[in-house]
Amino acid sequence: MILGRVIGEVWATRKHAAYEGRKLLLVTPRLFHGPRPVPIVAVDVIDAGVGDQVIVCVGTPARLASGGQNLPIEAAVCAIVDRVELADDVGRRPLTWLEGA
Amino acid sequence: MQLGTVIGPVWGSRHAAGLDGRTLLRVELDAGGEIVAVDGLRAGPGDRVLVAHGSRVRDLTVGAEVADKDVIVALVDGQDTP
Repeated sequence: MILGRVIGEVWATRKHAAYEGRKLLLVTPRLFHGPRPVPIVAVDVIDAGVGDQVIVCVGTPARLASGGQNLPIEAAVCAIVDRVELADDVGRRPLTWLEGA
Repeated sequence: MQLGTVIGPVWGSRHAAGLDGRTLLRVELDAGGEIVAVDGLRAGPGDRVLVAHGSRVRDLTVGAEVADKDVIVALVDGQDTP
């Protein structure tokens, strides 16, 4: 699972049938490797919106959270996070913690 | 799932049997780097696309016989990032 912040929404008209009627959210991870966070796209299943801090699940859990075993969905926003408590050493290299995101 | 831009098709006269008749597209990822994804939506060069990864995604979209685990699942019209 990835802890991140919703930074946008993605629109697509031509898409696989399983994506019909689903909202696609752009999510930036708060904890990441490398010089900058890499945003991912996830299907929304809990009516999250821009600015929300969320948990994205990936793989089989994402398919199940989206409503079925047979959905070609790789990532889903499946929780809105209210509060995060951190250990003192979070964000120590090589990881970076995105403050105030 | 990642956003990217289609660079163009890849051809191979000798390939795995499961790739017969499939269109493979080079996709430059927004995150950096380049992948080759199977096309199921007739995407073309310059198109913005959403690429999903994994064997289950592949099985359920283009078929289990396809030897590629990156699949184009949507053509992106736009994104709203306030």
